[in-house]
Amino acid sequence: MDPILDVRNLHVSFDTYGGTVQAVRGVDFALKKGETLAIVGESGSGKSVTTKALMGLVAKPAGHIPKGEILFDGKDLTKLSNKEMQKIRGKDMSMIFQDPMTSLNPTMKIGKQIMEGLILHQKLSKKEARNRAIELLDLVGIPDSTKRIDQYPHQFSGGMRQRVVVAIALACNPKVLIADEPTTALDVTIQAQILELMKDIQKKMDTSIIFITHDLGVVANVADRVAVMYAGKIVEVGTVDDIFYNPKHPYTWGLLGSMPTVDGNDEKLIAIPGTPPDLMNPPKGDAFAARNEYAMQIDLEEEPPLFKVSDTHYAATWLLHDDAPKVEPPEAVKKRMKGNISAGEENRS
Amino acid sequence: MVKYIFQRIIYMVITLFIIATATFFLMKLLPGSPFNDLGGKMTEAQEQLLMEKYGLDEPVPVQYAKYMAGMVQGDLGVSFQYDNRNVTDIILTRLGPSAHLGAQALIIGSILGIILGMTAAIRHNTWWDYTSNVLAVIGISIPSFVFAGLLQYYFAVQWRLFPVSFWEGPIYTVLPTIALMIFPMAICARFMRSEMLEVLGSDYIELARAKGVSNNTIMFKHALRNAVIPVITVLGPMTVSLMTGTLVIEQIFAVPGIGEQFVRSINTNDYPVIMGTSMLFSVMFIVIILIVDLLYGLIDPRIRITGGKD
Repeated sequence: MDPILDVRNLHVSFDTYGGTVQAVRGVDFALKKGETLAIVGESGSGKSVTTKALMGLVAKPAGHIPKGEILFDGKDLTKLSNKEMQKIRGKDMSMIFQDPMTSLNPTMKIGKQIMEGLILHQKLSKKEARNRAIELLDLVGIPDSTKRIDQYPHQFSGGMRQRVVVAIALACNPKVLIADEPTTALDVTIQAQILELMKDIQKKMDTSIIFITHDLGVVANVADRVAVMYAGKIVEVGTVDDIFYNPKHPYTWGLLGSMPTVDGNDEKLIAIPGTPPDLMNPPKGDAFAARNEYAMQIDLEEEPPLFKVSDTHYAATWLLHDDAPKVEPPEAVKKRMKGNISAGEENRS
Repeated sequence: MVKYIFQRIIYMVITLFIIATATFFLMKLLPGSPFNDLGGKMTEAQEQLLMEKYGLDEPVPVQYAKYMAGMVQGDLGVSFQYDNRNVTDIILTRLGPSAHLGAQALIIGSILGIILGMTAAIRHNTWWDYTSNVLAVIGISIPSFVFAGLLQYYFAVQWRLFPVSFWEGPIYTVLPTIALMIFPMAICARFMRSEMLEVLGSDYIELARAKGVSNNTIMFKHALRNAVIPVITVLGPMTVSLMTGTLVIEQIFAVPGIGEQFVRSINTNDYPVIMGTSMLFSVMFIVIILIVDLLYGLIDPRIRITGGKD
């Protein structure tokens, strides 16, 4: 089946006074209908910028897309004008933001904020839009929706606001839903509720979701496939099982190793040493080499291509080259890989 | 809401009482008396007679009590300098031109300022932004009488487009209005620009963009309302100072306004007019602050006042 969204060699750069920051440096991925793709990586790895580029929300004129294509519905979104993108945003593609406390307009009733997209894209009358907004509030689990629709954001709790944001995103039945760390700002119980809600809605509407997060626990819970981003590139991509049971990239090992486990209270968390590279002057070779204890000479000289591990699983590390020494992931990571098997199963049931 | 306004009105009365008291005693500390500047044309007996007539020979607290008793009944006394004209009368005839000028300057100035600030924020870091910034700084830092003088010289004296001075019809209001409105315009532009930049960088604007809302709708429906709140804060007090007349502008354009009247009363120790005018300014100030507070609630639901139960 053809992917609904196909991103090819996407580059995003920002011009600053100090120079050009290459925030995204060649990202490829495809999103299938009804699937959830999680993009993980630490802060500054380019996750959010990638999705902003998809939505055409990269701040101009500083930010621009020098190379690459975003194919959606037979169109290359990078070539569309702002006016044309406006017709796609909110209708075919919509977005859920990180912090529900700041992502709703404080001086506008939530009903109006939900209705706005409906009136704009589906040409509904005010009355129809209002009825639909009430349905949406019911759908996202806001009780007493007929009354709540006329309230302002400050009258809602954080979790409820995120439900409203979800309702806004779902208003026009988008084909692609981008969730940029939708649960990061919420407490754990609310996180679980919002995740459940999103899974539920995906089942009902068959939406494709791009889920950005740095919480691997959330990834195991919601995603079908995972793309690990580092320094503006995807370094490993595969199904959830590929990434959690058979990770190949040392950076993925590092991410898994730095994740706390449920039972292992006696062991230390392993941090990835160092900091991400300066993307104004990206290093030659593998961007992760400086922090990689398995780095080889070639890592400093040449960037690794994506090596195929299986049909679904690719990783960009020279360790997968035939001539590379066989390296096993560290013990702690192996433990967590197992830990995740049980944790993942629990989450799924 | 009604309860809140009622409460505020009680506070206002208390505030006014305190202002009246303080003004009265401070005013009595002014050197001189209303009748001592006649260059020895008046004998002491005559002066004594006048003092008695106006009750100025009594001890200050007694005068105070009498004045307050009169004020409560709406009697502000009679002026010493204008043949016993009623103070209320004087103030009302003088307030007209000042309020007219002030309102005109405020409305035009703030609207232009808001537009200027908004466009500067939208075109952040372009020549338009820089130009409007420079204009705003000029408007804030150069006093209005400089503009008044320049306007008068070029538009009235040199090019004869507008009358030089006096107060005889709408055309006479043009130059003083422009001179007066530059400051509020510059202030609004500055505030609006910085507020707008902050709002435009906020998450909810990004969400509105993600909804596919057009730029214009974002500006006017989403951003303006949130950005205008601090502007209203500065506009409140500015309204009072503009409406109650600016002495210098009124002098330059020979406008028979209340600012000019106020200063003359102080120079001549015209106690009832000083008191009357001070009270008027205070009332206006307090009322406008109340209006501003109510406006906040209207614009920003987060600070909407709910009387106890929602």
